[in-house]
Amino acid sequence: MITMTHYLVFSALLFCISVAGIFINRKNILLLLMSIELMLLSVNTNFIIFSHYSNDITGQVFVFFILAVAAAESAIGLAIIVSLFRARNSLEINLINKLKG
Amino acid sequence: MDIISILFYLVTSVVILSSIALIAVNNTVHAALLLVLIFFNTAILWLMMNAEFLAIVLVLVYVGAVLVLFLFVIMLLDIQVQKTVSKKLYLIFSVVISIIMFAELYMVIFYHDFENTVVENLSQDTSNTYEIGLLLFTEHIFSFEVTAFILLVAIIAAIAINMSDRERALRQDPAKQILETKKSRLKIIKDNEI
Repeated sequence: MITMTHYLVFSALLFCISVAGIFINRKNILLLLMSIELMLLSVNTNFIIFSHYSNDITGQVFVFFILAVAAAESAIGLAIIVSLFRARNSLEINLINKLKG
Repeated sequence: MDIISILFYLVTSVVILSSIALIAVNNTVHAALLLVLIFFNTAILWLMMNAEFLAIVLVLVYVGAVLVLFLFVIMLLDIQVQKTVSKKLYLIFSVVISIIMFAELYMVIFYHDFENTVVENLSQDTSNTYEIGLLLFTEHIFSFEVTAFILLVAIIAAIAINMSDRERALRQDPAKQILETKKSRLKIIKDNEI
């Protein structure tokens, strides 16, 4: 039988994989954004698990807000990427160090 | 093993395997498509937990809008697939850190022993969407308005960042910058020539 612990372990595993993804793909800014989306997904899954097992719908309302904020975040992030690409003609993260001082 | 267990293990193994593939591939288009698979399977998982409204929202809003936006940007920018192999040190670090994090989370989860009960399907006569709407428009109405404002700010910011008139659109070209010589930029005008 599938219990709450199963779901929680799945969610923790997803979160840890996406943390590893941020380390591994630190050269590719698009993959970094995707790893952040994956992290948000695992957090949302956690919210839904607790909402389901404690029989309280408020957790799902919170997930609704997180989804809206995540959509806004990725829209602005992609806009920044597009304007960065237009200015620099590349997306190499190690070249974005001009504000070093 | 009942059908729910089989479905759970199938869906979670697909999600975990494709997220490992996501962080390992170099091709950004493949990564975006894998992300579609992950989101879709997670929506199934949310359906199994009676969160129908959010599962549908995840598929419609995320797979339908945000990931299409990702694909759109990838195609628009025409990024050449570069070999982005990280240093070995970073790979080791990432694996060690994520294993430590997972071990800690695992210990917390098992320490608490969340009364491993399975809630029986509550025979509620109202749907999930109805319940969320009821709570959203009464208790959380202020947060709802703030969310609407955040989305408005995101729209305006995304347009404002990319709205550039042609003559101000400066573009850096390092190759040309290197080739510039003193002669092409600097002109000395003597007094008697004026």
